[in-house]
Amino acid sequence: MKNNKFTLLILGVVAVTGFWISWVSLNPSDEKAMATFVSVNELINNKINKRIKLGGLVKDGSIVISETNQLECNFVLKEGSSELYVKYGRTRPDLFKDGAEVIVAGQYNNGIFYADELQTKCASRYEGDLRNESSYNLTEVLQ
Amino acid sequence: MTPIAGGVALSLAFGFGLLAVLTLLFYNKYQDQRLFLVGQRLALGVSFFIFLATFILSYQLIISNFDVDYVARYTSIETPTIYKISALWAGQSGSLLFWLFILSIFSTITILQNQHKHHELMPWVIISLTVTQIFFLILTNYVTNPFQPTEADFIVANGNGLNPLLQNITMAIHPPTLYLGYVGFSVPFAFAFSALVNRDTSPLWIQSIRRWTLVAWLFLSMGIILGGWWAYQELGWGGYWAWDPVENASFMPWLTATAFIHSIIIQEKKDMLRLWNMALIILTFTLCIFGTFLTRSGVMSSVHSFTESSLGPIFLFFVFFIMIVSFGIMYTRLDVLKSPRKIESFTSRESGFLFNNMVFVVLCFAVFWGTLFPVISEAVRGTKITVGAPFFNQINTPIGLILLALTGIGPLLAWRRTGSKSLIRNFTFPLVMCVIAVILFFLVGFKGYVVVSFSLCVFVTSAIMTEFYKGIRARKNKFNESLHLALMKIVSKNRSRYGGYIVHLGIVLMFIGFTGHAFDREKEFSLQVGQVDHVAGYEFELLKLTESERPNHYAWISELKVTDHQGTFITNLYPEKRVYFHRNPDINRRQPHSELDIYSTLNKDIYSIFSSIDNDNKTAFLKIMVNPLVRWVWVGGYILVFGTLIALWPRKEK
Repeated sequence: MKNNKFTLLILGVVAVTGFWISWVSLNPSDEKAMATFVSVNELINNKINKRIKLGGLVKDGSIVISETNQLECNFVLKEGSSELYVKYGRTRPDLFKDGAEVIVAGQYNNGIFYADELQTKCASRYEGDLRNESSYNLTEVLQ
Repeated sequence: MTPIAGGVALSLAFGFGLLAVLTLLFYNKYQDQRLFLVGQRLALGVSFFIFLATFILSYQLIISNFDVDYVARYTSIETPTIYKISALWAGQSGSLLFWLFILSIFSTITILQNQHKHHELMPWVIISLTVTQIFFLILTNYVTNPFQPTEADFIVANGNGLNPLLQNITMAIHPPTLYLGYVGFSVPFAFAFSALVNRDTSPLWIQSIRRWTLVAWLFLSMGIILGGWWAYQELGWGGYWAWDPVENASFMPWLTATAFIHSIIIQEKKDMLRLWNMALIILTFTLCIFGTFLTRSGVMSSVHSFTESSLGPIFLFFVFFIMIVSFGIMYTRLDVLKSPRKIESFTSRESGFLFNNMVFVVLCFAVFWGTLFPVISEAVRGTKITVGAPFFNQINTPIGLILLALTGIGPLLAWRRTGSKSLIRNFTFPLVMCVIAVILFFLVGFKGYVVVSFSLCVFVTSAIMTEFYKGIRARKNKFNESLHLALMKIVSKNRSRYGGYIVHLGIVLMFIGFTGHAFDREKEFSLQVGQVDHVAGYEFELLKLTESERPNHYAWISELKVTDHQGTFITNLYPEKRVYFHRNPDINRRQPHSELDIYSTLNKDIYSIFSSIDNDNKTAFLKIMVNPLVRWVWVGGYILVFGTLIALWPRKEK
């Protein structure tokens, strides 16, 4: 058998794959498949209507859990000096607390960010909290 | 004193490494045997000092010497000894040292094993391994040194401690398993690289690295499966795979390595695909380093505020260094990499292997594309677009199914070409079974990919059965053996082949498990004692809410009675909400944790999470998931390991 038939075939496979990957990249089936990552500042300054993702720290003391439904909570997300009011109504990850690093995904509307996804920095990364490389959280310190 | 010795050992290792490489380069120029011996011993010295450094760090961890920054950061006096040791790979600098430690074990074994073998190849093999060591030595010496003293102007009485949630035996063995896999590929790579430099195309070195490759592959596979298992049991999002960048980082080299394991068979048997194999092993090794980079540099998960690290640029440099040097040399050796023989027909096992290889690489590229999509989109369009699991599932499902189909088709094809008669003979049974399966699954009401996947599982299983049947029948006819004996004989006479089929069977079972994901159901709701809610045809009644104080945590336990829609009792589930360090006056140091309870059968898992509790109203907030067929994934994993062990089992020397 001629070798160039195989070359053609390989090129075919490459072409089909290229087409498939770019097609899915442009037409994701699920709205949760993609989200634009923006900073809190960008979000507040340009109204963005599509699904977005943001990262930041939970502002100390800002978590308020609804009296009637424990699942519902709101908190303030801090990124640098910018702040964003976030509402979230599903099971919260265990590591979600004041000062935690979180990523939220959802929609922004009239000053409120409605998150449908809330991730804390994953403990599975098996690494101590190194947010500030030089800080230890030593439990007991002898002077 | 001793921590300083550790630092000195690392520096010495670095120096010895440079000397070893120089000496061996001189040997290549002057061909003086003494230079080779010196180089070899220097290389062994590098490993020796790395062993020493690792033992010193482990010792510091065990005796809790908090003068060492690393020890203070990841352990405390209360940490159980086993987790003090596992803290060796808990943090960044320690895990890089641990990488080096494993590489040094492999390097030492390789050097000692080949003292009287592969004389032409060994100089460059040692150079490649040592250069890799040198790279990691630069990191551990100058960028993130595990022996760095604590930078505090007071005496540290107790350390930070390891996150209690990570004090879990799976989590202690998952990273080293993965590392053994990652690092293991440096040996086949070193041989390939050396063969490339030496213009050696004999199938000899291929044979000697086949075993290494399989061992590394086995560890990588186990590492990946263990990681999924741990996530499923502990993390409480109900899944085992999320296409997280770090998961992808381990999956990409696994894909190219799997392709390599298949295609070296062709080079061994037919001396074809030399160029392709070379490219694959270079790619696999590069992806291993790239994977360590993704895991350790924090580049991918570091969306804005997450940990930035100085490791990134150095790692990227090394990745490009390997690629440019290896592919550069490959380019100058193109003439010898031309295989003397060509594939003769589409319906040959060779072409089956070639197809399988292409699809593996395509899948790897798809994963790579998705993983780097945020970076790519930011570079091209200026906005960072992140992609989630649905994106990966959409792209990879059809590619994975094609691979599954090839798992069945490949073994049915003959070498060189399959005549139309044997084509019909080989394919009739599996195809008929497959068609029956399609009809049955449609009648049951399944749709789309589910039908395709399940039917392909039937097809592949029938094909593997056919292979076993043919082998057994041949022996029975020839030697008149019993079925049992014939089975034992065919497997032991051809371990790599039948071991491979058993691995394929494991993969089929895993695919059944993956397909079950299409039927997952979940619901979040709140219950007061005595109330009932329904999920996927099951009824959940909250019987009791109890509290309990235990040594290092406080727990709220909800007792759920699960019955099916006919009212038959299934099980009681006891998910817990815990707070670790509940006595700590600093509320931020208290650590909430949801301890799941899973009722697992081959048919489905009922997965319960106690999200939160409202103490005033005695209300439990629960998340319940019904995940069909998950257990098949773990069973498939066991079978995969079993099959690989058969393929690896050495023959008795005659």
